[in-house]
Amino acid sequence: MNAGLSAAALRAGYGREIALDGVDFAIGPGRVAAVAGENGSGKSTLLKAIAGVVPRREGEVRLGGESLRGWPRRRIARAIAYAAQSAELIFPITVHDLVLQGRAPWRSGFLWESGEDLAIAEDAMRACDVLDLADRDATRLSGGERRRAFLARLLAQRAEVWLLDEPTADLDPRHRLEFLEVLRQAHARLRPVVLWATHDVNEALAIADDLLLLRRGRLVAAGPVEEALAPDTLEKTFSIRATVERDAAGRPRVTFSR
Amino acid sequence: MTAGRRTSGVGAVASALAILAAAGVFAVLVGSVPLSFEALRRGDPVARAILALRLPRVALAAGTGAALAIAGAALQALLKNPLADPFLLGTSGGAAAGAALAIFFGASAIASPAGAFVGAGVATAAVLLLAMRSGRIDLQRLLLAGVTANAFFSAVILLLFSSSAGGRSRSMLFWMMGSLADARGPEAGALALYLAAGGGLLLATAPALNLFLVGEESAASLGVSVERTKAVVFAAAALLAGAATAFVGIVGFVGMIAPHLARLAWGNDQRRLLPCSAAVGAALVVLADALSRFLLAPAEIPIGAVTALVGVPFFLVALRKVS
Repeated sequence: MNAGLSAAALRAGYGREIALDGVDFAIGPGRVAAVAGENGSGKSTLLKAIAGVVPRREGEVRLGGESLRGWPRRRIARAIAYAAQSAELIFPITVHDLVLQGRAPWRSGFLWESGEDLAIAEDAMRACDVLDLADRDATRLSGGERRRAFLARLLAQRAEVWLLDEPTADLDPRHRLEFLEVLRQAHARLRPVVLWATHDVNEALAIADDLLLLRRGRLVAAGPVEEALAPDTLEKTFSIRATVERDAAGRPRVTFSR
Repeated sequence: MTAGRRTSGVGAVASALAILAAAGVFAVLVGSVPLSFEALRRGDPVARAILALRLPRVALAAGTGAALAIAGAALQALLKNPLADPFLLGTSGGAAAGAALAIFFGASAIASPAGAFVGAGVATAAVLLLAMRSGRIDLQRLLLAGVTANAFFSAVILLLFSSSAGGRSRSMLFWMMGSLADARGPEAGALALYLAAGGGLLLATAPALNLFLVGEESAASLGVSVERTKAVVFAAAALLAGAATAFVGIVGFVGMIAPHLARLAWGNDQRRLLPCSAAVGAALVVLADALSRFLLAPAEIPIGAVTALVGVPFFLVALRKVS
C-alpha cells in the first residue's frame, strides 16, 4: 500500500533568496494534487524541496507519517521520483538507456543492470508508448516523444510519489492529451501520490483530486478540489478575476477575465 | 540482455587495450634507429640497450595519455560539455608556473616536478574556491575561473622566462611544450601510481557520471550525492593532470580528443567510456611520441607541439559539430 505525503512549515530557497516560505499540506495515498500559481510563485521549488534537490531550510516532508529528515539520497530517490520542467540533453543517449536511469537508485555500485531492471524499464517504455523508440537517440525526439520517454524513466523508478513539473508545457493539444492519457493509465495501475505543477489550472483539473494554490512562496489554499477551488482563492492566487463553471460531466472549469 | 551489456563492456575495453598494445609495439620498434624482433630475439646488445631506453619512454607516454584522457572524459560528463579538457581547472598553467618558479630559484631536474605538483594543487584549489557559490561548486563560474587562472599563470611564466638566463629558460620551455626525451623508469612507475589512484576514483564515480549526462538536478533526484561526486571528480582530475604535467610538461588536446574518439567507437556509458578513453589517450600519446622521434629524426619535435598540431583541426571539427 502506498503512503500519503505531507509537509509541515516547509521553507526552501536558493542562496539568500527564500522561494518557499512555510508550506503545510497533506495529500492522501494515491491522490493527484495540482500545484498551481503564477510564474515564480514557488511551484518548482516546492517539488524540488520535496525531492531534496533543493535543500530544505526548515520544516519537514513526511511520507506515510515518517519524516524524510536524515534519509540518504538514494533512499529518497527510491520513494520519490521527480521529472524536471526541462532537461537539456547534450550528449546522445538512447531512450532505453535514459529509461534505465530510473533504476539507478535501486542498483548498487558499479553493477550492470539486472534482468529485473531491464524488465521494469521495458514495461515502463510500453506503458508510455516509447518501446518502438528504445534504440533512438533521445536528443533527436520530438517534444511529445521526449516527455513520454522521461515519464517512462519516472515509471521505471517505481517510486511512491511522482513530482511532475510542467510536464506538458511545451506540447501541442494532441500531444498533451496523449500524455495525459498515458499518465492517467499509469496512475490507475500504480496508485502513487502525484504532485503536478502547472500554471494551466484547467489542464490539471482534468486529473486532479486535490489542489494546492501558491502565491509568493505561501499556500493560498490547499485541499480537495471541491473545497480549494473557489473564485476568491483563484483571484488571490493569480491576481485576476476568476469564475468557476462545471461541465456536463460535473468537472470544474475556470475562466479568467480582467 | 544483461549478459549482452556486460559482455559488450568487457569487449569494448579489450579492443581499446588491443589498440594501445599495437601502438606500444609500433612505438618501441620505430625511431632514429629501427629495432627488429629478430635482433631482440638474438639478444643483440645494441637492440637490448635501445629497448631499455624506449620502454620507459613508451610507458611514460602511455601513462600521460591515459591520465589526461580519463580525467577529460570524466570532466566532459560532469560538466555536460564535450569540449571540456583536464586543463580547464587551471592545472596546466599552475603546474608549468610551479615548475618555472622552482627552476628560477635554481631547483634541480628532480625537484622541479615537485614544484609543478604544488603549482597544480594551488591552481586547482584557487579555481575551485573562485567557483564556489553558497557552498556549492557553480559549473559556469568554474569554467571562467579556470580560463582566468590559466591566463594569470601564463603571465607568471612569461615574466620568469624573460628574466632568466639561457639554460634556465630552456628548462622552463620544456614544461610549456612537453617532452618525453628524459623519460626514465622510476618516473613512469610514479606516474602509474598516480594513474591508479586517480583513475580508480574516477571509475568509482562512473555510474553517477552517467546520471550527470541529463543534468545535476536530475542526478540528485536519482539518488546521487551531487556535491560529493563533483568534489571527487575535480580532485581526481587535478591529481591526474597535475601528475602528467609534472613528469612530462603540458601535453594539450589529448584530454579532449581521446574521450571523443572512444565515445564514437564504444558509446557514452561512462563505465565503459572511462577505461576506453584511458586506453585511447595512451595510444594517442604513444603514437604522437613515435611521430615526434621519427618525422625530423635525429631531431625531436616536442610532444606538446605534435599533439597540438593534430589536436587543433580536430578541435575545430568538434566545435562545429557542437554549435
